[in-house]
Amino acid sequence: MSIRERRDGVAGDPADGIVSREIFSSETLFAKELERVFAPSWAFVGHTSQLAADGDFVLSRVGQESVIVTRERGGAINVLLNSCRHRGMPVCRYDDGNASVFTCSYHGWSYDLGGGLTGVPKLNEGYRGGLDRSQWGLIRARTEVFYGSIWATFDPGAPSLEEYLGDMALYLRDLLQGPDGEDDGYEVIGGIVKWKMASNWKFGAENFSGDHSHYPTHLSVNRLNISLSGKAERHPFAAVKAPFTFLNVAHPGGHTVRVNLYEKLSPYESMWAAVPEVDDYYRKCHEARQKRLGDRARLFSRGGIVFPNMHYNTGGRTTIGVWIPVSAHETEVWRWLFVPRNAPQIVKDTLRHFYMRYAGPSGMTEQDDMENWTASQRGTSGVWSRRYPFNYQLSPADAHRAWPEPWLGADAMVVAGVSEHNQRAFYTRWNELMSA
Amino acid sequence: MSAQASITESQLAQLLLQREVEAFYTREAELLDDRRFSEWLDLLAGDVRYWMPIARNVAFDRPDHEYTRERTDANWFDEGKDDLAKRVQQIVGGDHWAEEPRSRTTHAITNVNIAEIRGDELTVHCRFIVSQLRQDSEVNFFMGKRVDVLRRGATLQIAHRSIFLDQSVLLAKGLTTFF
Repeated sequence: MSIRERRDGVAGDPADGIVSREIFSSETLFAKELERVFAPSWAFVGHTSQLAADGDFVLSRVGQESVIVTRERGGAINVLLNSCRHRGMPVCRYDDGNASVFTCSYHGWSYDLGGGLTGVPKLNEGYRGGLDRSQWGLIRARTEVFYGSIWATFDPGAPSLEEYLGDMALYLRDLLQGPDGEDDGYEVIGGIVKWKMASNWKFGAENFSGDHSHYPTHLSVNRLNISLSGKAERHPFAAVKAPFTFLNVAHPGGHTVRVNLYEKLSPYESMWAAVPEVDDYYRKCHEARQKRLGDRARLFSRGGIVFPNMHYNTGGRTTIGVWIPVSAHETEVWRWLFVPRNAPQIVKDTLRHFYMRYAGPSGMTEQDDMENWTASQRGTSGVWSRRYPFNYQLSPADAHRAWPEPWLGADAMVVAGVSEHNQRAFYTRWNELMSA
Repeated sequence: MSAQASITESQLAQLLLQREVEAFYTREAELLDDRRFSEWLDLLAGDVRYWMPIARNVAFDRPDHEYTRERTDANWFDEGKDDLAKRVQQIVGGDHWAEEPRSRTTHAITNVNIAEIRGDELTVHCRFIVSQLRQDSEVNFFMGKRVDVLRRGATLQIAHRSIFLDQSVLLAKGLTTFF
């Protein structure tokens, strides 16, 4: 049968590696997705290093919505819907800054850093004393800080962040540990990289979830040796020769990671030979991390996603990004670049330069990824092409639970080697939410 | 009094310099649009810095914060000649899919203003319009301001280039052309 019937919900049959093309192109499904997939989820909105002083704020997004992330006097962090309760205007017009109050430029309602409504013109004479300001503050998200990363959800029914992440918390904590294994070891460098692309957000999400078979994409960057290892390839860790198993790790919440699990704790192998001071820093960090984490230091994370739209890279380039859903056919991408907080300046400079040459619209690697995601998008809306589903059946090996080490997570489902296991897990979770 | 007599030597020198800079930019745009990238690289000094910051939306009293900082923050580009040479090598190989098939670009440079002359270096302000079309329907349109430091030797060379794009959220999926 060339046109497969959908037999398992909206996406098709993702557990068997069959996914409908229409989930990338249907605006009806997109609208449903905002309610079913984004609204009940936790969103990454920023990092505490962006809010160094009381009164600091940055704009961010939860799903499509603009939010203000603020730091109150005393350090408490709030995530507020950037929409005046009176007529919906954004009360904050700037990407970042320092403030004690946000005043709407339409009618002048004003709010403090916790979202409380502090000022209403004609409050006394205009409302016959009947406006209860406590009921008309900015909508406040539930907010949690996890090792420096800031998360928010507006859904009162969502589980706690800890429960939402499940075992993914281990990997998120690992991401935020400095190269020496110290918790909350990173800081964001100035400037969030933002761009738009004509692609459904899920193409980026599934790629970061665990696509390890897109070899032709990066032929050009691989031949140019942009890694700073002094050797071929684009990843610094490609220079490491110690034996490892590549693992696709999927969690029940749809969160997935890609990791190298080294067979044993080994001495440092040079990954940054092009800049000796950087290599020296990573050598010291390698030893410190082994001392701090013991056997778990065998885990070398390469990247992954927190469902639905947070994505990250590690393995020498620590970046966190979000896919902001604009429409079925358009996505805005935000990317935060991180450097180890306590590293010498030359390490921070080297990493910053490496990111810019690697990722985003000016990145020699991701330019070709985005060519894929936008070109695939064009293949989802034709009256004929959309009837034929995509194939995610690569390496349908049985996944092992909590394998090969129990500390990879009690509910972690793991497949070794190149596989589309993580994409299947991502679409299975998406399907559950959309079909409920 | 004839018109000729009213032109002083310094005015003439100024006109010739203006003409030289404009001709340099015309040639540069032609090299880029003709995809003669290695010849374009020859216009860059060995120690060139090519910097394109990211724009932010800021309050009126923080104009210095509007663009991210060179050698400090995230930028679209903040690199030297070796990096640019790698970008050229990537484009010309036929396997850089974001540029294969190649873009058709048109670079227009205007409002050329020699703002300062110091020794053998000129600071030149100008505006750029770059249109980039790929395949059937990928259309990117970039406009902005540029500040160059041009070095005078046997020929002019670009010693430093600052590119201030008007967009904050980039409205293109890739920056695969040069500015």
